[in-house]
Amino acid sequence: MGTIGTFDGFTTARLAIYAAHKGLSVTGHNIANLNTSGYTRQVIDQSSLKVGANDMYRSQLDNHVGTGVLVNSINQIRDPYLDIRFRNTSSDVGFYDTQLSGMQQIAAILDEVGKGENKGDGLLYAHLEKLTEALRNLGNDPESGNDTLVRGEAESLTSLFREYASRLQNLKAETEEDFQQQLSSVNEILTNIRNLNNDIRQNEIFGDNALELRDERNRQIDALSQYMKINVTYSMEDVGAGKQVEKLTITLGDANPDVSVDTDTTVLIDGIFGAQIESPAQLPTLNPNFGVDGEPGNDCLYLDANGNPTNDIAQAAKKDNPNYLVNVTKLVDSKGREWEDSKTTWTEANGGTPGQKAVYEIPIGSTGWVDGNEIEVGGKVFKIGTGGAISVNDANDPAKMAAFLAKNLTSDDYIIRANGANLVFTAKNAGAIGSKGPADKPSVTFKPGAGSGATTGTITPGKATETTAGVDSDPPTPIPPVTVGNYTTTTSFTEMDGKWYQVTTVTQHTNPVELKDNDLYGKLQATREQLTEKGEFATQEDIDLDPDALIKRGIPYYQMSLDLLARQVATQYNSLNQGFMVNHEGNYLDDKDQVIQLAGSPISKTNGLTQAQKDALIADGCVVMGSDGKPITDEKGNQVPDINRWLGANGAQRPEGSGVLFSNRGDGDDTDNITAANINVSHSWSSRAVKIVPTHIKLFPTGDKDADEALKNSTQSDNINHMISMMDTKLVYDPKTLDPDALGKNLFEGSFNGMMNNTCSILGNDQRVTTVKLNNSYTTQITIDTNRDGVSGVDLNDEAMNMMTYQKAYTAACRLMTAMDEALDRLINNTGIAGR
Amino acid sequence: MVRATTGGVLRSYRADLMNSFISMNKSQDTVLTQRNFNSYAEDPASASKAFKLRKSRMAVQSQYKINDDSYRKFQTAWSCLDTVDKLIDTDNGKSITTLKGMTLKMLNDPTGDARKTLSKALDELSETIVQTMNQKYGDNFIFAGADGHNVPFEVVDNKLYYRGVPVDAAVPELQMDGATPPAPITDQNGDYVLASAEKAKVPDLQMTGTTPTTFTATDGTAFYVNKGVTATSKADYDTAVANDPAAAALYYEDSSKNPPEYYLKSDTMTKDAYDDLQNNILKDDTNAPITVQIGGKGYYVMKGTDENPSTISDADYKKAQTDVEKLNYLVNEKHFVDIGLGFQENENNQLIESSGFNDAINGLTFLGYGIDKDGDPKNIYSLVQRMKDLASSVQDGQNWTDAQYDEFDRLVGKLEDASSEFKVEYTDLDAGTTKLKNNLALLEENFYNLQEQYAALEDVDMADALTSFVWAQYCYNAALKVGNNVLSESLMDYLN
Repeated sequence: MGTIGTFDGFTTARLAIYAAHKGLSVTGHNIANLNTSGYTRQVIDQSSLKVGANDMYRSQLDNHVGTGVLVNSINQIRDPYLDIRFRNTSSDVGFYDTQLSGMQQIAAILDEVGKGENKGDGLLYAHLEKLTEALRNLGNDPESGNDTLVRGEAESLTSLFREYASRLQNLKAETEEDFQQQLSSVNEILTNIRNLNNDIRQNEIFGDNALELRDERNRQIDALSQYMKINVTYSMEDVGAGKQVEKLTITLGDANPDVSVDTDTTVLIDGIFGAQIESPAQLPTLNPNFGVDGEPGNDCLYLDANGNPTNDIAQAAKKDNPNYLVNVTKLVDSKGREWEDSKTTWTEANGGTPGQKAVYEIPIGSTGWVDGNEIEVGGKVFKIGTGGAISVNDANDPAKMAAFLAKNLTSDDYIIRANGANLVFTAKNAGAIGSKGPADKPSVTFKPGAGSGATTGTITPGKATETTAGVDSDPPTPIPPVTVGNYTTTTSFTEMDGKWYQVTTVTQHTNPVELKDNDLYGKLQATREQLTEKGEFATQEDIDLDPDALIKRGIPYYQMSLDLLARQVATQYNSLNQGFMVNHEGNYLDDKDQVIQLAGSPISKTNGLTQAQKDALIADGCVVMGSDGKPITDEKGNQVPDINRWLGANGAQRPEGSGVLFSNRGDGDDTDNITAANINVSHSWSSRAVKIVPTHIKLFPTGDKDADEALKNSTQSDNINHMISMMDTKLVYDPKTLDPDALGKNLFEGSFNGMMNNTCSILGNDQRVTTVKLNNSYTTQITIDTNRDGVSGVDLNDEAMNMMTYQKAYTAACRLMTAMDEALDRLINNTGIAGR
Repeated sequence: MVRATTGGVLRSYRADLMNSFISMNKSQDTVLTQRNFNSYAEDPASASKAFKLRKSRMAVQSQYKINDDSYRKFQTAWSCLDTVDKLIDTDNGKSITTLKGMTLKMLNDPTGDARKTLSKALDELSETIVQTMNQKYGDNFIFAGADGHNVPFEVVDNKLYYRGVPVDAAVPELQMDGATPPAPITDQNGDYVLASAEKAKVPDLQMTGTTPTTFTATDGTAFYVNKGVTATSKADYDTAVANDPAAAALYYEDSSKNPPEYYLKSDTMTKDAYDDLQNNILKDDTNAPITVQIGGKGYYVMKGTDENPSTISDADYKKAQTDVEKLNYLVNEKHFVDIGLGFQENENNQLIESSGFNDAINGLTFLGYGIDKDGDPKNIYSLVQRMKDLASSVQDGQNWTDAQYDEFDRLVGKLEDASSEFKVEYTDLDAGTTKLKNNLALLEENFYNLQEQYAALEDVDMADALTSFVWAQYCYNAALKVGNNVLSESLMDYLN
């Protein structure tokens, strides 16, 4: 039968009370944080306690009983897999939500559904049709009043173009501000996470799990995942003395489909180090060969204005950043120290001469000392004999005296030890005497003390004998530091035990990283795409940045589409109002009313050019040129003759009032680069120097313009009819018209209204597709969040159960203590009292 | 989900409640705006189609106004022409206030009592017709074709001009030479010889060298003898005179012969007559007489008069050509307007005519132009003027000569022909008016059809919209009620 601890039960009860109380506290904490965003349910980790080892003399009949319960720790319950899924979905939601929001803002400007007269005639739509209506009226009666009405409609139309363009430009500016604001928010989050990592690390080192800080960190990471796709990993970090703490690393989430790109996994957070992101108006020019081994200058991150490598960002050449590319800065901790990781290796060095320390021995002849003698050594006076530092016998023993002296002598250049009756002087530094070694050979001077009578002992320090000669060291040739990529290798040489060792230290740094166009995802990328994507207007430069540039449409695409429409309207109507006069047979006239001849025959507007005339024009180089400055060709690959250019250069007659109707300024007639933002009714039309030309037909000109009594046709309106039919003419909307470098296919082929309709339809369809994607992502996110809450969230029923459980446990433990108290009371006070 | 937590349930509920609220809000928007969609994004296909339909409706609306304007113009034109018709012969010539009535009266006025009055009235009526044809619709002259800002008809020196072109312009036929290809014959001034010029047969005389053989009669008359004629002997002459003494006057005696010889005067031509002929014929640039071959015989071309010229200068000929070209152009001149027939251009940027409506009304078409095969004007005004002039040429109180009467009667016939042409064109205009009227109805119908079509796309079915809204509201209320229960119950509520 084993032993019974008298107070075992009390300990068990005390531990049970403690555990139940902790349980109640944790339950209370959970209930209190029921509505705390990001809070993770906490649970206590407890185990039963058994004390003592196996007793060597334990009786077989003895049974061990546990001694209660221990609260090991308080933990959180999280599922990392759900966190990963949630954050991935969060970046989806952030991307589509921002993309849809951007489209909705564009639609608020361009989408004319439900706007305008008659509950939805539209604005730009209606004005294009009203312009047609005014032209119909003018065609019906080409008089000046009707021309004024057409001009009025044209002014309304151009005003509307400008207003739309202005609103789109404002939207772009606002989106740009929003982008910068988002960068600030991300940087704030990154700073918070870095600082929280630091706090958590500190807490962990001192044994606290810092659960609440982890909750806050998770909340921050969740917030970050809306802005960009991220990858979160946890690892253990050795903090010394065998202590390891958790380290959190956040990298970009490999969003770039281009597998050759590794910048999409750039480290943002590495434990207590964190980076920031920025998108400056101008970027430093990066050295494309940075990190490539073998060439001088490849250790420099930037190129200066002359193309020379440099590591000084101030010297780096700057380039505009129209694509809002984002940089990730170096990793730094909360005190601004850069992240570094060094590894040092030792290897025996080749070359060099090791140094050698000089060694001298000086014999000590010490005899004849008597009690009471004194000796002064190294500025101190020691008494010999009774009460002294050394006995008389020892003082008279040269070996012991040598040991005594070695103990009390000091030298700047030598280490002194005793060797039998000799003192051995070993140079502290290797090298010859008077060179790299000591300045002089060692010497010893003893003298008697001043305050103890006559000295009887013999002090005869011998001559210093060189047992080992001092040799100067000669290290191997120094190796300069080498930087390759983020790695810097420094080399030094250390002499040890007569050998030179090469000490190589490889230090890993972080450098600023210029992210590629597709490295980001989430809100930031959606906002960037809103700001930059040009769809069919994309150039090779854009495609080099993003292979999908031709199918992505942001604000610039819609701006340029509107510009293209405005330019098309202006170009077509300007062209129609600048035609040349023909006679009643449709042949072009010169300024003298004579029929113009080309290739031996009149040039007929009605019947078109003869083959001979076409050949003549092409031979003359008078062909239609594309916006890229090269001749355009028809479907058979033939050049297209430009008869209008030829007529203009050969004195063809223009009608009265002929001129441009639309220009790029209201106070001029310049038609270059007309856009939606600058389209205006031309100054000449406004000032009535130009009017809508109703007809180009001159009836029966006599050939003498001055005496011309040609038939009048004051209400003929064939040219106005051209303008009317132009409204429904199928025109090609080629992005190259606006940007010769654009690589996209034609946006549309159809009427002006059709182009507007097409643009809005594309926007509408994109919105629908994005809405579906957003809804899917959002639903998935809610589901995952709910699942995550199923693991990590607080449930009142659970907590009520826990509360009851712990409360009952607490009560039971107290009852146990009472029972034990009563039992011991019986044992102590009421046992063995029989017969009292 | 293994574990349903309070927070998770609430989050899920919150998302579902939000969806329910969004649905209700959307249904509410549909009811309030009464539109099936309020942006392209809601229904891109319908929005796109609705805009196309609205554009078509706006176009139809504008085309209707143009059509209506043209219709009213045609109606006004029709009224004018009706007036002109009445001035010509609406009463089938029974009324003397019509042209026909007056001309018939003049034909039946052999004594010429009313001829002067009627002639004046005829003149006035023709003036009235011209004035009527110069009527305006709005600011434009109706019958001016594509020159609505200028008066179309103008009378200068009793000649009618349409937009500055004489309505009777004709290209005269020229006398052509026998070359291949034929070329116009020109006189010594370079003027073209008219085919209508009077001609005289070239005399075929006995020649001595290059000059006619001259004979001199006993009375001193110099004469030429036709080729192939032989002299009559003295014996034969005497026999003839013996049989008929008057026959002596039929002969010239050539006393240079012994015995004398005699020539029938009909076989001769006096030198004076020959010289006179030579002085009145046209000559070419070599001063040689111009001869033309008719029926294998040579003819001289006689010099003309101011009234009846035999030549025309190159400039005048070209002007006549141009005038005729102008008239032909003007009568076919078109002015197209868009009344909803398509209004499209071909590959040469020329309007496809069937896609527009030609609303040019050329007055010339109605009053006639040019000359007929008889050389008479086709224009009503010109005919009337000719008749008036003819009537004026008869002295007061005298009867028509037969020739005058016949000429007047012939012109009355021509007027009848012109009147018939007028009626044909008048009827054609009526057809145009009817087309415009029908098109108006069609456009109106199109307008309402288009309205219905886009309304069908855009406008909600209120019953359906309200049902949807009520259902969405019901769902939302139910969601709220569920929420109340979700929040109220937990084990905590049952702890004592």
